[in-house]
Amino acid sequence: MPVHSAGPRLYRSVKFKHLVRESGSAAGSRNSNISLNLTPFVDMMTILVTFLLMVFSSTGQLLEAQKGLDLPIAESRETLQQAPVIIVTKSDITYQGQLIATVESVLRDDSPTFKIDALFERLDAAAKKIKEDVANGKQPRDLNAACEKAKNNIRPARGEVICPDGLAILQADESTDARLINKIVNTAKAAGFDNLLFAVKNK
Amino acid sequence: MSASIGAGEKGSVNVELNIVPFIDLMSCLTAFLLVTAVWVNIAQINIQPKGKTRDQAQVQQDDEHVTLSVLVQSDRIWVGLSRVNEFQDIPKKTGPEGDQDWEKFEATLKEHKTSAFFTNPERNDLEIAAESTTAAPVKYQDIIHAMDIAVKVGFTDVGLSDPQGLAARPSL
Repeated sequence: MPVHSAGPRLYRSVKFKHLVRESGSAAGSRNSNISLNLTPFVDMMTILVTFLLMVFSSTGQLLEAQKGLDLPIAESRETLQQAPVIIVTKSDITYQGQLIATVESVLRDDSPTFKIDALFERLDAAAKKIKEDVANGKQPRDLNAACEKAKNNIRPARGEVICPDGLAILQADESTDARLINKIVNTAKAAGFDNLLFAVKNK
Repeated sequence: MSASIGAGEKGSVNVELNIVPFIDLMSCLTAFLLVTAVWVNIAQINIQPKGKTRDQAQVQQDDEHVTLSVLVQSDRIWVGLSRVNEFQDIPKKTGPEGDQDWEKFEATLKEHKTSAFFTNPERNDLEIAAESTTAAPVKYQDIIHAMDIAVKVGFTDVGLSDPQGLAARPSL
């Protein structure tokens, strides 16, 4: 294998004829040298990084995308916070990822309590555990003030964090029947969840 | 690879800026941000379960002051005041789309917000219920839309009630 002197030789191995002008130095001599213009590339990267930094979310994943679930659209911009999640898709009702019942069976059930018993059991157990954690001060420090306010029956202002005691998220499909939502709200209220966060998609 | 600055005549200072580390950093940052990017913006509407059937404290409260109640049905929206028993009927728009008349609903709520009953800045409560049946279902999106408009108008303390538990319910 012949030994060449050091230096750029891109043009020799790959003939980028269309990239060099005929009258240019590269076309005239065999010692042609191509310089790749990196400016547009750096520009594009800078714009992309800026855009991605703007949409970057540091709050972490609060909700999981579900098959058969299109969230309703709203103008509200209040951010979600960590809480037990009740998910209602087009076919199923799940709590913290575990199947509770099917939508069809709940809509068919005309029990006078207007509650979903399987969901009530889970929510009741969760509510007791959260209440105990809050009483023992096990919640994150930034929620202490919110829990103090809740004890004094002071409603949090818009955008303020809410005490996790009695807080749950409802992530339901936009086409869900209102009767089902009523039953879930009844069940949550009966289990001690007085604050519900309805997850919505921003316009 | 480098970018030169100030290439000039003999004797002038020619600085070559090595941009390879910069491009490396940008590439890593772009890859990281693309992987962790959130493409769907999810927000929340905070509500309290309300209504006479759910909240016993409200029965007493209803006797003390006027409550603004909204009943969403598949073909219309009722807006009413308890004790006064004054109701406004907002029928669905006519036409091929046949959507609820949200503009009129918003205007009605604005009107109530500026009325004498709600001049106290602490009075920003409102209750919403949806009456859905198998024959005439009401979708969750409609409830959310009604709540969203209520919050936008200034009724930040939105409660979700069942139709039987509304403080003001139109006699149909």
